Amino acid sequence: MKIAHFASIGVAALVLGGAICPAVAQDIPAAKGMNDIERASLMQTIAAAKAEGALNYSDTIIQPTTNDVLVSAFRSYYGLANTFTVNYTLLTSGAMITRVEQELSANRITFDVAAIGSPTWTFERQKTGAFLNYRSGQYDFYQDAIKAGLGVDGYFVLNGGYAQIPIWNTEIFDFKGKSYKDALAAVPAGRFSIGDVVQSESHLTTYAGLRQALGVDYFKDMARKKPTFVGRSELSAQRILTGQDMMAFGGNPSRVHQSNQKGAKLKIFYPEEGFTFLPQMTFIFAKAPHPNAAKLWIDFILSETGQKILADKEALISARAGFQSPIPDIAPNFSSLKIIKVDWEKMSAQELIKYRDEWVSIFNP
Amino acid sequence: MNADPHLTPKKKRMTLQASLPLIGVGVGILLIIGPFLAGLIRSLLLWVGNDPQVSLANYSWLLTDTRIRTAALNSLICGLGAMSVSLVLGTSLAWIVSRTNVPGRETLRTLNLIPFFFSPYVGAIGWIFLIAPYSGLMQTSLGSLLGVSFEGPNIYSLAGVIWILSLFYTPYVYLFVISPLQRMDAAFEDAARVHGASFWTTIRLVTLPLLQPGLLSAALIVFVTSAGLFDVPLALTATKGIRTMPTEVFALVRYPSDLGRAAAFGIFITAITIVLTLWQRAHLSKRRYEIISGKGYKPRVIELRTTGTLIALAIEVLYLLTSVVLPVLALVLVALSPLWTGRFNPATATLANFSYVLFDYSLTRQAILNSLFLAVTGATLGVMLSGLQSYYLIRVRSGFKSFIDAILALPLGIPGIVLSLFFLIFAIRTPLYGTLAILLIAYIARFFPFATRTISAMLSAIHPELEESARANGATWAQTMRFVLLPLLRPALIAAWIMLFIIFIRELGASILLYASGTETISIAMLLLSENSVGYVAALALIQLVLLLTGFSLFRLTKVSAIQ
Repeated sequence: MKIAHFASIGVAALVLGGAICPAVAQDIPAAKGMNDIERASLMQTIAAAKAEGALNYSDTIIQPTTNDVLVSAFRSYYGLANTFTVNYTLLTSGAMITRVEQELSANRITFDVAAIGSPTWTFERQKTGAFLNYRSGQYDFYQDAIKAGLGVDGYFVLNGGYAQIPIWNTEIFDFKGKSYKDALAAVPAGRFSIGDVVQSESHLTTYAGLRQALGVDYFKDMARKKPTFVGRSELSAQRILTGQDMMAFGGNPSRVHQSNQKGAKLKIFYPEEGFTFLPQMTFIFAKAPHPNAAKLWIDFILSETGQKILADKEALISARAGFQSPIPDIAPNFSSLKIIKVDWEKMSAQELIKYRDEWVSIFNP
Repeated sequence: MNADPHLTPKKKRMTLQASLPLIGVGVGILLIIGPFLAGLIRSLLLWVGNDPQVSLANYSWLLTDTRIRTAALNSLICGLGAMSVSLVLGTSLAWIVSRTNVPGRETLRTLNLIPFFFSPYVGAIGWIFLIAPYSGLMQTSLGSLLGVSFEGPNIYSLAGVIWILSLFYTPYVYLFVISPLQRMDAAFEDAARVHGASFWTTIRLVTLPLLQPGLLSAALIVFVTSAGLFDVPLALTATKGIRTMPTEVFALVRYPSDLGRAAAFGIFITAITIVLTLWQRAHLSKRRYEIISGKGYKPRVIELRTTGTLIALAIEVLYLLTSVVLPVLALVLVALSPLWTGRFNPATATLANFSYVLFDYSLTRQAILNSLFLAVTGATLGVMLSGLQSYYLIRVRSGFKSFIDAILALPLGIPGIVLSLFFLIFAIRTPLYGTLAILLIAYIARFFPFATRTISAMLSAIHPELEESARANGATWAQTMRFVLLPLLRPALIAAWIMLFIIFIRELGASILLYASGTETISIAMLLLSENSVGYVAALALIQLVLLLTGFSLFRLTKVSAIQ
């Protein structure tokens, strides 16, 4: 009781301090351009987040080294001390959904924030009340994306997007094609990988989109060439790097970008048939253990500062209005993309399961 | 319990003496029966809308689904394959160091045990780096020499799984047969040779039949453990869509999960384990195996000729190279490389991967601490529990001992992932979910029989007269335990503690379904890091190996390890 009492006094003091000390607020980048009311509100949230002391977030793309940069920038953005802890867990999409579903069943959510490239699941979970209603001011910059079906105002929006597209090692494989069909024709049988739709929600989502553009026969031809099934993007890149595979059809531009920064010579192309765009939908859980810290994180990750880091380090494609990609070869600007149109909100989980069953019947993994 | 004034002092002592071991047995049975019942009940429930109904639908699905049949067949192949290779290799190694004059056999006797303490999952990762098609160290090294690119053996196959499992389960067979081989009366073999039997005929008709109890026990444990292992098939065959029973259980738990079907599958696997264990007990109880006669004897040591010595040494060297040296070397080279491309470049060697996993990544730091906590606490609690159970099984007179012994031995054969699934079902709506406590309980439940067997073996070798004389001289039961039995049992207790410590440090199957944010272990961290960089995975695997080798060295210092 006493501890709780003193804690509440502490929070109140911090809130009051924040409200009456606009000079402090003006020093932090997050308060730049804010009016007094917005600034006071921000300082209240920061004070409450400091009292919470930590943030737990999970993502299916962001590498731990990028997380280090993000966390450092996040602390600077809000003037948080190093004692404020950010716990980060990188999971595959399938593993994350399994974990979250279990935690929802157990009514014990351990994550505050998550980001995942599984739009169907995200829309479904939002409808069941799993996410917190928080209308970040940054949502103003994502209205076009929300209109395009890549978010629900006040609940979730993409913090970036990517594609699972063909990648290859230019030191081992000479490929100059421009389409999915060119890639399949060029690659030797048994020397390529595809995304494992059974293991990975994002690969299932990609298949659901590609299936509409390429037709089922394309995948039957692919199955005849005996691919390897890979659920993890790092593994598909690793197999390309070492020469086990000549091409990974479910390659991730983030891994290409990161490997090339270490001296590799991997290459990607955005096929002329179009591609499935995977929005990394980010949201706060309704029962997040640190809701105020989570709000700060969402504001930060959707901001120009957060988007720059994600684009630069993870090659994520930003849907923020007016954002210019620092690496357009690997992560082109959002407006220039040829995306296969899929209405993720209308696509049910049952439909996705049908796509998965179809994929299994074609590839028989 | 001692406060009852109606009890005589003798009855009080008997109460304490009887109740403590019974508590140990009771806790052990609860740890097995509780989650098992949770799994059984869940397997019989089918949700229609929001209402659960009792149904056998999950079991009828088991019988009709072709994927399950394929998975079961693949597990059977893995189990039988690993069992066969391990039996041949383990018996050969034990025979070489115990019945021949091969040079350095005392050292080899110890070295042969090292793979027992390694993680098969780490071994599988090491072998991927060694012989991955077109890109393994073997292919790239030979390719550079010969100027060609070649595929090499396919490690991503059932044969690859059998190979890895055989390497790491050979010490199980070795441990089971080395003691009977050392204690076997040479007169049996001499009699066969005198009557004209050749060397191989003597081996086939005399030596092997006398080793049958050890071989059968080893075969059963290797078969059940290999067929139920989750991590090696996950590392090797998942990319080729080759499913096994444990990977299928894992797939059923993943979203969209079907815990009912997963539970039914788990119950089915457990039932097979129970049937096999009962069959083994029944089979061994029908025959007598007396390998030590009442006469004085000297174990036969065969003087090998030069060719025989070379062959024996070649088998030893090949085994140690393939199970320890080569996979560890591959891990070291990958861990030292900033970007692994299948070739090691000494010019770019760096310790950055070690630095990252040890100092820069909070998850691995937390995972190392969690694993150490689970290993130290789990081993301590496990040994306490096993000590009480051993006392009950060896010292207490009871008509149910055989039955209780069979129940307490069940976790030896239940795959870690199945037990983990039962615990998940058991705990998902309790405060235990997502805590280190549930991992701790699952670890102890899965592995306490190993400790119980180690302690029971030593306890049965200590004559009760020592305790009886202490009691006759006025010592209480507690004093007798403290000043007589526990000091005598100390080597076994330490050995059991170290064994559990080692097993808990490398454990993955029982953790994979139960870990949550903040409760990751080293093996889980390795799995999570595999989405990040193989260099980090290799570095963390080597850190785990250092912990395991430390445990192994301590194990060798205990007297009981020599007995085993």
